Amino acid sequence: MMLHYFLRRTFLIAFVFVALTVLAFSLSYLFPGEVLNNVSGLTTIAPEQQQELIQYYALDQSVLMQYLGYVHRILAGEWGLSFSSQQPVLTEIIAVFPATLELAGYALILSFILGIPLGLFAAVKADSFFGKLISGITLVAYSIPIFWWALLLIMLFSLTLGLLPTAGRINVLFDIPTTTGFMLPDIWLSDISYKSEATQDALRHLLLPAIVLATYPTTVMIRFTRDSMLAVLEQSYIKTARAKGLSRAQVLYHHGLRNALLPVIRQIGLQFSTLITLAMITEIIFSWPGIGQWLLDSIYQRNYPAIQGGLLVVSCLVIVVNMLTEILHTLFNPLARKA
Amino acid sequence: MKKFRLYFEEHNRGPLTQLWQQFQRQHVAVFGLVIFVFFLLLTIFAPLLSPHDPYLQNSDLLLLQPSWSEQGLVQYPFGTDDLGRDLMSRLMKGATYTFGIALITVIGSLLMGLALGAMAGMSKGLKSSIFNHVLDLALTIPSLLLAIIIVAVLGPGLWNTTWAIMLALLPQFVHGIRNAIQDTLKQDYVAAYRLDGASNWQVLRYAVLPNIWEHITVMATMALSTAILDVAALGFLGLGAQAPTSEWGVMIADALDLIYLAPWAIALPGLLVFAAVLSVNLVGDGLRTAMTKRREN
Repeated sequence: MMLHYFLRRTFLIAFVFVALTVLAFSLSYLFPGEVLNNVSGLTTIAPEQQQELIQYYALDQSVLMQYLGYVHRILAGEWGLSFSSQQPVLTEIIAVFPATLELAGYALILSFILGIPLGLFAAVKADSFFGKLISGITLVAYSIPIFWWALLLIMLFSLTLGLLPTAGRINVLFDIPTTTGFMLPDIWLSDISYKSEATQDALRHLLLPAIVLATYPTTVMIRFTRDSMLAVLEQSYIKTARAKGLSRAQVLYHHGLRNALLPVIRQIGLQFSTLITLAMITEIIFSWPGIGQWLLDSIYQRNYPAIQGGLLVVSCLVIVVNMLTEILHTLFNPLARKA
Repeated sequence: MKKFRLYFEEHNRGPLTQLWQQFQRQHVAVFGLVIFVFFLLLTIFAPLLSPHDPYLQNSDLLLLQPSWSEQGLVQYPFGTDDLGRDLMSRLMKGATYTFGIALITVIGSLLMGLALGAMAGMSKGLKSSIFNHVLDLALTIPSLLLAIIIVAVLGPGLWNTTWAIMLALLPQFVHGIRNAIQDTLKQDYVAAYRLDGASNWQVLRYAVLPNIWEHITVMATMALSTAILDVAALGFLGLGAQAPTSEWGVMIADALDLIYLAPWAIALPGLLVFAAVLSVNLVGDGLRTAMTKRREN
C-alpha cells in the first residue's frame, strides 16, 4: 500500500520536474535577444567563438537534442553565466539562497508558535470575547497588503522610535566569514571575539522582516486550526469520548488536536508558494540580500539566465516542501493512503 | 413582522432569497458589502466624481498638506504630491486601476477555470490524471515569479502582469470547480437525471452548475482579495502599472522618497488597498457562513 503510494508520488514528481525543465528550457527562446546569448550567458560573443558555442550547445541539432543537452548541463551544475556579473548563475544562487531560506524558516516557525495555540483557543472558546477578538484580528491581518504593513512598521519602529534597523541582515561593521550562508549559524561557527554583539545585532535586523513575513502564515494557521478544530469538535467520536468520561483536556489533546492538525500540515505545503512570494517582497523592502531581491534586480537588468536559474531553484524548493508535507500528512493519516 | 397565515402551508423561498436572509443576519458581512459596493461605484464613476484631473501638475501647490492640518486647503482634502497632483483625485482614479483590474482578472480567470474545471470534472481516468499533474506544476510556481517571467518575456506593463495574475489564480479555480463538480456528480439526483437520458452537457448545465454556483461565488471573492493584493504588489515593485498611472501600489512606491515629508501619501493608498481587500474578505466570509447555514436548514 505504502510502496504503491510512494511509486505514484515519485512518478508525479518526475513528471513535474520534466515539465519544469521544459518550461525553463523554452524560456531561452521566449526571452528577447539571441538564443545563443541566453543559453550561454555570454554578453559578447566573438565571431570565431560562435561556431564552437553553437556546436557545444547543440543549437544546430533538433530541439530534443538541445533539451537533453540542457538537462545534462543543469544536472552537471552548469547553469550558464549571469549577464550582469559574468559569474556562474549557480554560484550566485548559492550565495543568496540561504538568506531567503533563513527568513522564510524563522517566519514559518514564528507562525507555528503563535498560530496553532491561538487557533485552538479561538476554536475552543469560539463564543467568548477573546475568541471573537482573535477571529477579528485574523481577518484584519489577512487583508493587510504586506508591503504597506512593512512600511508602516518601518515608519513606527525605525523612523519614529529609532529602535530597529531598516535594512540588511547585519551591521556592515561586523565582519562575519561565510561558511553556511545562514547568518546566525555563521556567527556561532566563526571564531570572532564579538560573538554576542554580532548575534544581538543580527537578531535586531531579523526582527522586523520576520514579523512582517510571519503575519500572513500566522493568520492562515489560526484560521485553519480554528476551522478544522471546530469541524472536529462536531464529530461523534468527540461526543463518545466525552460520554466515556474523559476530561475536557484529555478529549482536546487525544481526540481533538490530533485530528485537527492533519489538514493544517497539508495547508503548509499549499501555502508555501504564497510564502515565497511574500518573502521576495519582504526582502526587497528590507534590502535583505536573498533570492527575491536578486531576481528583481535580474529583471531590471534584463538578466535572463539568472531568471531562468531562479525559476528552477524556487520552484524546486516549493515542490520539495509540497512533497514533504504531503508525505508527512500521509504518514500521520492512514485514511489518506488509499488510491 | 410575521404574516398572518390562514391556512397551513409550506413556505418555500428560492435559494437566493434564503441565502440573502442568512447573509443579512451577519452585520459585519453587510458592512463589508457596503464598502464593497462603494469601491465598485468608485471604480466605475471615478472619472466623473474626482474633483481635479489626477494627472494635472500644479507647480504652485507642491506637497500641499492634507486639509486637516493648518497649511492644507479644503479644495485638496488629502493634499498634493511632489508634482502638485491632487492626491484625492489620484486615489479615486486608482480604484479604477487596482480594484477594476483585479475584478477583470478574476472574471477572466473564473471563465477559464470554469471551462477547464468542467472538462477535468467530467472526464475520467488518464485524461483527468494528466490534467492534475499539469495543475500541480502550475501551483508550484509562486505568483511573483510567474509575473517576473512574463514581464521578462513581454516587458513590464499593467496588462502584461494581468496575465500573470490570471494564470496564478487559475489553478485554485480549476481545482475547486473540478472537486465541486465531482462531488455533485455523485448525488442521486444526477444519477436520476442521467437515467432520464441526459447527455453530459445537459447534466452539467441543468444539474451540476445550478448546485455549485454558490461555491464558485465564494471562490471568486477569495480570489478577488488575492488579485487586489497582487495588482498592488506588482505595481509597487515596478513590474505592473508604470509611474504616472495612479494605481495604488505605484502611488506607494512613488511616495517612498517622501517618507519623512509626506507619510500620509504612503498611508492613504495602502489604507485603501487594505479596506478594499478587507471588504472583499468580509463579504466572502459572510457568504460562506450563509451558504453553510442555508444548506443546514
